Amino acid sequence: MWETVAQAVINGLLIGGIYALVSIGVTLIFGVVKIVNFAQGEFVMIGMYLSFYLATQFGIDPIVSLVVTMPALFVVGVLVQHFLIRRVLGPNDMPQIFLTFALSLLLLNLALMLFSANYRTVHTSYSDEAFHLGGLYIPVAKLIAFVVAMILSGALWVFLHTTDLGKAMRAASQNRDVATLMGINPNRVFCVALGIALALAGAAGSLLMPFYSAYPFVGQVFVLMAFVAVVLGTLGNVVGALIASLMMGIAESLGIQYVGADSGQIVVFAMLLLTLAFKPNGLGGGRVR
Amino acid sequence: MDKASKWSVAAVAALAVVVLILPLVVKSSFAIDIFVRILLFSFIGVAWNLMGGYAKQLSLGHAAYFGLGAYTSTILQIDYGISPWIGMIAGGVVAALASLPIGWLCFRLRGPYFTIATIATAQALMLIFLKFRDFAWGAEGTTIPNLGNAPLMMQFEAKSAYYYVALGLLAIGLAITYLIEKSWMGYYLVAIGEDEDAAEAIGVNAPSMKRNIYMISAFLTALAGTFYIQYIYFIDPPTAFSFNISIEAALVAIVGGIGTLWGPVIGTILLETASTLLQSWLGSSIGGLQLTVYSLILMAVILWRPTGLMGMIGEVYHRLASRRQARA
Amino acid sequence: MKKDRQPSVTRSENAVRKLLPEAQSRRKFLLKAGGAVAAGAFGAVPMRGWAADPVNIGALYPTTGSMAQIGVGCVAAAKLAVDMVNEAGGIKSLGGAKLNLIISDVQSDTTVTRTETDRLISGNKLSAIHGCFASALTLIASQVAERAKVPLITGSSSDQLNKGLSYTFTPFARASQFAQAQLQMAKLVGDKPKVAVIFENTAFGTSTSNGLKELAPGEGVEIVMFEPYSAGFTDASPLINKVKASGANALFSVSYLNDLILIVRTVKQVGLDIAINGGSGGFVIPDFYKNVGKLAEGLQGVAHWNHDMDDNAQKVNVEYKKRTGYFLFEYAGGLVAQTFMLADALERAGSADPQKVREALSTLDVSSGYAAMAPGGKVKFGPDGKNVYGRPVGVQWQNGDLASIFPKEFARAPMIKS
Repeated sequence: MWETVAQAVINGLLIGGIYALVSIGVTLIFGVVKIVNFAQGEFVMIGMYLSFYLATQFGIDPIVSLVVTMPALFVVGVLVQHFLIRRVLGPNDMPQIFLTFALSLLLLNLALMLFSANYRTVHTSYSDEAFHLGGLYIPVAKLIAFVVAMILSGALWVFLHTTDLGKAMRAASQNRDVATLMGINPNRVFCVALGIALALAGAAGSLLMPFYSAYPFVGQVFVLMAFVAVVLGTLGNVVGALIASLMMGIAESLGIQYVGADSGQIVVFAMLLLTLAFKPNGLGGGRVR
Repeated sequence: MDKASKWSVAAVAALAVVVLILPLVVKSSFAIDIFVRILLFSFIGVAWNLMGGYAKQLSLGHAAYFGLGAYTSTILQIDYGISPWIGMIAGGVVAALASLPIGWLCFRLRGPYFTIATIATAQALMLIFLKFRDFAWGAEGTTIPNLGNAPLMMQFEAKSAYYYVALGLLAIGLAITYLIEKSWMGYYLVAIGEDEDAAEAIGVNAPSMKRNIYMISAFLTALAGTFYIQYIYFIDPPTAFSFNISIEAALVAIVGGIGTLWGPVIGTILLETASTLLQSWLGSSIGGLQLTVYSLILMAVILWRPTGLMGMIGEVYHRLASRRQARA
Repeated sequence: MKKDRQPSVTRSENAVRKLLPEAQSRRKFLLKAGGAVAAGAFGAVPMRGWAADPVNIGALYPTTGSMAQIGVGCVAAAKLAVDMVNEAGGIKSLGGAKLNLIISDVQSDTTVTRTETDRLISGNKLSAIHGCFASALTLIASQVAERAKVPLITGSSSDQLNKGLSYTFTPFARASQFAQAQLQMAKLVGDKPKVAVIFENTAFGTSTSNGLKELAPGEGVEIVMFEPYSAGFTDASPLINKVKASGANALFSVSYLNDLILIVRTVKQVGLDIAINGGSGGFVIPDFYKNVGKLAEGLQGVAHWNHDMDDNAQKVNVEYKKRTGYFLFEYAGGLVAQTFMLADALERAGSADPQKVREALSTLDVSSGYAAMAPGGKVKFGPDGKNVYGRPVGVQWQNGDLASIFPKEFARAPMIKS
């Protein structure tokens, strides 16, 4: 019995790491730029396809391909901010929401056009292997993904709290006007925020490749969970998103185990709605940390 | 009545005549289908616009009410033999009642939180209907029994009949919007939309207003749900609570001009026409091409004309009016 | 108006000729007509110079959206089938009239299916339709076809398709029959099978799994776990964890492709020694093997059609492989047979009128030729549109291809014990 619970918790934790990478990106963008990026899942998808082609054309292991996907998507993030998002920043949030939504639709269908709906899989030597500890099993690929996700999250936290640019970003997220008065260029800060967020999405994509298949709609599968995590952890709160993601992964896993295999999402939604009923700003309390 | 008002009344009257005789003149079943879609989605957009356009409560979960309306009337029809006309009203009532607890939960939140919460509620409803097979056929859904031509049960052999029903719904939606717009409720809603805190400060009862407009919006959306299921003869949770419906409701209003009477109608006409044209030119030759172009159009509108088409028309009108004034 | 009129002239007419006895002069005639047809393909130029008006057959498949891979494969099969019928002389009782395939994309979406079916029917004089792969889509198309009085023939397995519809014909096994076959196959692997059943919670999964639940006791199979799950999950581990905890020694998964891939891989990761029967759907298509690789070897499934059933099916398979690069999978092969069934009905009806075609279909009774490519080799429709001889065939992945292994009469290769 204990074995089952422990295994469920491990499963949830590991997938929670991936949710974390996606949700941290979303929450960072919201915290700094104050918009919700509905297209985040599609950037994960792009990361996956990029890794797929690097793996099949050059034989580069997906995890190693991080060093390509992350910078590539960072650049994409800067471009998206500079040419698209900048134009709809304003008091009205509707154009912003619909812009990123349209972007999501665009990327998804471009992928469909260019790559067709077929699933792309990469098999590495460790793809289907697992560590066995007692009666528990820990899939190798997922463990690596989790560890890298935690490292990247930690690196982001350090960046936000120790570097000047990071502090500038936090300042801009707390109060854009005052930050501008203090000489911080908002657009530059936003570009960096977008860049980092998309780089994290790309990382998620690369980390997913060994054990997940790439197809145009794959982003949609992860983005919903990521969004719930963002809200749960308070929009803009990076640490909150991380913790919420891990919690959600575990809750989903336990929900599937003990409530019903189709109830994973319901349990998570229940968590969300209950939390919002009593803590409308999420568990994090509304600060960007 | 001054000249401008006379022109607009004449224009509306002419439009009404055209719209009324359209199905009699146009015989193509394909074209009538497009018109029905345009009318229906204009109506859904108008219903959404009450909340999202005037009061600026950006809900992306209106499919919840669409689905509730659809399921209510279908259950009443198949299990109890009650006509969908009555079922439609019942569905509206169910939806309006449902908007109360959902509203209580969601209105505690502001901005994007509100939006995400609405998405979550619609999704949660879909999951619930998928899971519980006993009262609503679960995942498999059900078809509407073929009754041939049965106007009392909202089934018509003539396609044009559906056109007129949809037209009727749209007319009701527009009428309600117009009445609200011109009433004190309309002004309060716009105030809430502009700045809720400021509105409350001057004495507007925001929670009560939001609750009321949400109920009306939900009621109307549910009517559309019933009609839609009667039109496509099939219901299942993914269809009834489709996220696409939530999106389209907001989209047509935004593209056409939120917070305006005719915005959703114009938005629907533009998007549906574009969609149909794209489908016939590009079709299924390359998967994804049509939606790619569609989303590019969307992005273009959002980037360059966020006030929507009505905003564009408004600008043109003002430019012409000011030129006339300068000359006078 | 969007039409996708396919010219009857094929790129690979040589290969088609190998399938059927063929006169050279007909080929030359078709080549000349090909030019005119190409011009007519855009609907502007009326086609003249034909011996008889072509007979329009509608095909509704999801060539975009989540089911696109299968939809595209189906369309390729539909074109091949029409080419085959036309090369053999078309419909002789209609003066050699050629079949004209009009394809419509239903975008893997229920609402689009409604519109497209309607548009297809009202925009063309159709004699019959076939489609749409997914049961939920076919259900809608069948409703529209019923009201428009156009016959619809389909391989979709939902039992709902045979309820109260007189214009829908299903020549292949029903979902409930798949269930029985799966249960019987479980006994092939072990004496006292303890089965865990997981299924995706929409129409496809629910109808098949219900059949499993009802029939299990009768077949002497114990179901130790019976769980619907939400398709498109991020991780199969929780689900497989539950399967492991249930103590099952066989796993029946009624799923679409993406979930199947994850399920199979996760079972391997867990080191769970369990026999997997992937049912139908995404399990029996080439893409499954492409993504899962060697892990698929030895896995069993059920299909309503397989390409090794008889010589005719193998011939079609060879041709299809040439055109597409992969083997002729279940749904695609089934619809080739369906096209020939329609041709047979048209011959006997002597008319392109949909209601007459429907009459002729209802009295269909074939046991040879391409129209009879079905497990059991016979097709005859009962009053509810079901094929009274319809049975599924148990298949197994062997060397990257699907071999029929069950029941004994249908087995074309020995079962591999894994």
